[in-house]
Amino acid sequence: METFDLLKRLTETPGPSGNEAAVAAVVEELWRPLVDETAIDRVGSLAATKRGAGPEPRPTILLAAHQDELGLMVTRIVDQHGQGFLRLTNLGGVDRRHLLGQTAVVHGREALTGVLGGLPDSLLPEKARGQAYSYDNLVLDVGLPTERLRELVSVGDFVSFRQPLRRLHNGRVTGKALDNRASLAAVTICLERLQGRRHTWDVVAVATVQEETAYIGAYTSGYAHQPDVAVAIDVAHAKGPGANDSELSELGGGPLLGMGAEIHPAVYNALRDAAKALEMSVGVEPNATGRGTDAYALQTARAGIPTGLMLIPLRYMHTMVETADLNDIERAGRLLAELIARLDDTFLPDLREELMRPDKRKDDSQ
Amino acid sequence: MNDLIRSLVEAFGPSGFEDAVRDLIRPLVEPHADEVSVDAMGNLIVRKRAAGENPLKVMIAAHMDEIGVMATHVTAEGFLRFTNIGGVGPHTLLGGRVRFADGTLGVIGADRNDDRSAIHPLSKHFIDVGATSRDDCPVRVGDAAHFERPFVAQGHRLTAKSMDDRIGCVVAIEALRRLPATVPHDLYFVFSVQEEVGTRGAEAAANRILPDVGIALDVTLTGDVPEARSMSVRLGDGPAIKVRDSGMIAHTGLVRLMRQRAEEAGITHQMEVLDGGSTDARPMQVAGPGCAAGCISIPCRYVHTPSETVDARDVEGAVQLLVAVLSNPIEL
Repeated sequence: METFDLLKRLTETPGPSGNEAAVAAVVEELWRPLVDETAIDRVGSLAATKRGAGPEPRPTILLAAHQDELGLMVTRIVDQHGQGFLRLTNLGGVDRRHLLGQTAVVHGREALTGVLGGLPDSLLPEKARGQAYSYDNLVLDVGLPTERLRELVSVGDFVSFRQPLRRLHNGRVTGKALDNRASLAAVTICLERLQGRRHTWDVVAVATVQEETAYIGAYTSGYAHQPDVAVAIDVAHAKGPGANDSELSELGGGPLLGMGAEIHPAVYNALRDAAKALEMSVGVEPNATGRGTDAYALQTARAGIPTGLMLIPLRYMHTMVETADLNDIERAGRLLAELIARLDDTFLPDLREELMRPDKRKDDSQ
Repeated sequence: MNDLIRSLVEAFGPSGFEDAVRDLIRPLVEPHADEVSVDAMGNLIVRKRAAGENPLKVMIAAHMDEIGVMATHVTAEGFLRFTNIGGVGPHTLLGGRVRFADGTLGVIGADRNDDRSAIHPLSKHFIDVGATSRDDCPVRVGDAAHFERPFVAQGHRLTAKSMDDRIGCVVAIEALRRLPATVPHDLYFVFSVQEEVGTRGAEAAANRILPDVGIALDVTLTGDVPEARSMSVRLGDGPAIKVRDSGMIAHTGLVRLMRQRAEEAGITHQMEVLDGGSTDARPMQVAGPGCAAGCISIPCRYVHTPSETVDARDVEGAVQLLVAVLSNPIEL
């Protein structure tokens, strides 16, 4: 499948944190032909296992890309002269400045499309003008009278944003939920490439749940699969107008490798070496204190998992016009496949060495 | 049920000091359990075994601890400076009374405050137990106290200093009494410790039990008082089925099942979306490989003040809902 079509399918499927079943179904359909088995666990994460060619017992690498996206939830149904309106709250780090004027779907007894509306600025109390809408004065209006709305919708129903994926110029694409469906697309590309590539390790690719709220799927998948190595795949703020001056995170500049407290240096180096082998340019995303991706929860699962982090550059994160470069997504997929194909039976013994004597690395080209 | 509620809510049990509450609960649950144990943290774990094959492990958690204070310093004049145990708001302190484990009563005063509209931070409050010097003060640094306030029942409304979460313990005890002799699931009722300081007891218990399904019993806030937050939960409208709070999103299948059981049994109920706070359901959700976690909430006004108020009909509804969920098949 063309990367754009793959991404379109993934991003347009609704999957607010806590209600990812529709995305899991799509991902399972995409991954099942590429792996040996798939399973959805108790919290809703989808795990796909592709067995390696090495002798048993084989080590396992876990790839974690979260399938949830930001969303909203109904907190109250309010009545205005017989017309019903939905009051909302956020699921994950929703930026309220972007809500007014969006189209959204409430997943009640049936899916109802509505608009996020509010009073025009000129009619708001003076001190509220020019501000982001608070959840106290924003409503989702699906056009139904209160009585009918109450039959179809209840407090606690999930709300997802509705936004088609579109092409911009120059291989750029824009839409909602590229955080983190771009990474699910990259993992899909990785699994496709592994069809023609020998790898000795077992690969468990997991589409995790509730990353945006609490890393639930990463905690539980790290425990359940007890991998020898884990790599989280997520998005990073790309350089753009007003964004930071990092020279390493350029849209179209290739994936970034996370570096910091939760990253095992040997996994970082393995990713870097894989990029070198592909002659692929990669950046570095320094994050001294960690948190913010599934890597945070994976690192401390069980007795501790050596964890790496790969990030796809993204502009306008957590909005409905998240923008990525298709090349970066494809490169991320190729890099993951290369990493996996290069894992051998010396990797784990060397990994301990790496931590103890980082200056003794055999093939460091610096 | 009011006698049971009174005895539990008036008991001493700040986080980390739950022994007295546990001693009250243990004899009440033993007749209804196959196995009762206390783990290293102090969680009381009450097991009721399933009748069938390959049962689901269901953990039900209600926390025994309550918020309180702890002495941090005794002044030369015998006054106590103190810190909070759990979420204690400074606006709930002045003029209040606290009681220490040994029965010592203290009243809370505050440093001079010339701005009457301002509230001192907790650090500018002190406790006066009637001592005149450090030597004759019966309280030592590290001693914990709870807020002293008698239980009051007025019509359906019940007020106490520790409805959070003794009322959840009451729901669990009452459900244990009413459950049929044989149940289809392996039930682990956990009366947990240290919830108010970060759901620590339930985290340890859940990691031991590794439940398939986790149900917390706890209080939730309401939106039905003057100038309240925008929240749909109302006192007296029945137990609330939690969909989300700031710590977790409940398992959608479990939420659906709870609603279905409530509807089948004709139990008035409401849906809960809470913007602040969390419960023991959160650590259960991420324990081990993860579990289907949810919460049956008892609506409560004035949470984390000495006058937490619930409605007896909501408590009764919560018991009925829990019994309906646990005594029937759980298909998620």
